Amino acid sequence: MMELRLKPKVSGLSIPLEAEVISPDVIAGKTLREVEELRVYHGNRAERLGEYFEVEGEVAAEPGEQLIVVEGDVSWVKYIGAGMTAGKVVVKGDAGMHLGSKMSGGEIIVEGSVGDWAGAEMTGGLIRIGGDAGDLLGAAYRGSPEGMRGGCIFVEGSAGYETGTGMRRGLIVIGGDAAPFTGAHMNGGVIFILGRAAKRLGAQMKGNGSLIICLGEVEELLPTFVYDTTYTPTFMRIYLKTLSEKLGIKRAEEYIGRPFRRYRGDRAVGGDGEILVVERG
Amino acid sequence: MEMMRVNGVEVEDTFAEAFRMWGCRVIITAKNQKWADTAAMEMTGFATSVIMCDCEAGIERRLSEDETPDGRPGTAVIVFAHSKKTLIEPLVRRIGQCVLTCPTTAVYNGIPEEEADAMLDIGKRLRFFGDGYQVKMRLGDGWLRRRRFWRIPVMEGEFLIEEILGAKKGVGGGNFIIMGVDEDSTLEAAERAVEAIHRVPGVITPFPGGLCRSGSKVGSRYPFLRASTNTPFCPAIKHTYPESQVPEGVNSIIEVVLNGLDEASVRRAMAEGIRAAVEVEGVKRITAVNFGGKLGKYQIYLRDCLGGEVS
Repeated sequence: MMELRLKPKVSGLSIPLEAEVISPDVIAGKTLREVEELRVYHGNRAERLGEYFEVEGEVAAEPGEQLIVVEGDVSWVKYIGAGMTAGKVVVKGDAGMHLGSKMSGGEIIVEGSVGDWAGAEMTGGLIRIGGDAGDLLGAAYRGSPEGMRGGCIFVEGSAGYETGTGMRRGLIVIGGDAAPFTGAHMNGGVIFILGRAAKRLGAQMKGNGSLIICLGEVEELLPTFVYDTTYTPTFMRIYLKTLSEKLGIKRAEEYIGRPFRRYRGDRAVGGDGEILVVERG
Repeated sequence: MEMMRVNGVEVEDTFAEAFRMWGCRVIITAKNQKWADTAAMEMTGFATSVIMCDCEAGIERRLSEDETPDGRPGTAVIVFAHSKKTLIEPLVRRIGQCVLTCPTTAVYNGIPEEEADAMLDIGKRLRFFGDGYQVKMRLGDGWLRRRRFWRIPVMEGEFLIEEILGAKKGVGGGNFIIMGVDEDSTLEAAERAVEAIHRVPGVITPFPGGLCRSGSKVGSRYPFLRASTNTPFCPAIKHTYPESQVPEGVNSIIEVVLNGLDEASVRRAMAEGIRAAVEVEGVKRITAVNFGGKLGKYQIYLRDCLGGEVS
């Protein structure tokens, strides 16, 4: 892959910068000069990308060959990788809101934490977050019927409120704790929580294969989730192997062969989604 | 008929007449090898020949925990039928009655989509056994290879099956005949041949223990019977059957029949089998069954299989 490096010239802007142009789809095929001239928005002002970043490195002809490395903390930059279809973006620090929202392919790696709405309504690709994620990770935008519809988000740390709201397809893995309302309104898709799962898990979850798997403690389940049984389902081995082999989460293998408690709901809305909670001890 | 010699044994310069068949590899896993084998044996029962069975099936090999999708011990089975269409029904019935019912088993596709000529909706059909409580399992959407499975509740737990299974155009009816001086030497040679054949990937031997002692020929003197034993090769009637092809000194004959997922595998397996068979003392001659080239798409010549090793 051809590497283009963006070095922030400023830090900690009080008004965030909207820079969906930081995407292989936009940058591939341009010259360095053209990249510097790409339009970003600071508040209601349209400005040049080059005013906020030093641009160096190489530009690929195709998005799939483009690697963009953002060197440093850009928690003040929103929409990095939004809508991208291919290529790779690496952020060597924190990133702002809407990272990878509506992306359909490629990979984003954030070494630090991300703001709200990361991976919102994404349909494909992989987002790896080394730190924590804000609220509404992989969620549906307000007024939208469906959130994440494909792809994978792996947060090594914790995730905020309403993770995976309205999720329809894809996989979200939370290495740490999950805040309340994780998986609310889910209608498909899979969420793994390796840490502690907070209240209102899967609230108003429908069916269609919706699945939340808790490998840590669960604070409280809604009474509208019905306990079915405790068993050791074979399918879990497939998911846990995928987590280990494709995402490098080796500790997932510790749960292979462990029994799970199966809850079905949310019966409040006639849902037949599932929450599986690993049996402790 | 011209003869070659391999390890001093006569090998007729003839060909095995084989047919186009569609094959599907099914990977069965279970809690342990015992139950994977049990399901595989049940599933491949009564599947020797399409003369009277709905398919031809056999166990390809055992799979280690590293080779299966769920990390459990497994057994690979290959099922063959005349066409893609006629392959579906035996798969649905056999998996439905022999694997779904077998404790702890799961079923996975054994031919990846890029290698398959068609993907068959097998799990998709079997899901109805869940009576509405089956759950669709999705994997890889938008970031890995997209895969679908069905989780079907059963009394023991849950049966997991991949939604589609890969099938490809293969070859059925690869064969060779071992002629020996007595039953012991012929059987030992045939057993060794089958053992060698099973080292070739993508090949099964659908008959009992891989062996067909009756042989078969097209038609019979009875109008209701479309195939009969291979009377020209029956030593018991070699001096009374007018067109007997049993050589002097031969008193027992066994046919080894094999099907493969491609022609090259069948050729290689035939060669491995013949080479193993001719090592046994008492084997007098090797030949193959054909119908004059009128019925089958493939003519697999023994001399081609054995390559430069003919002496």
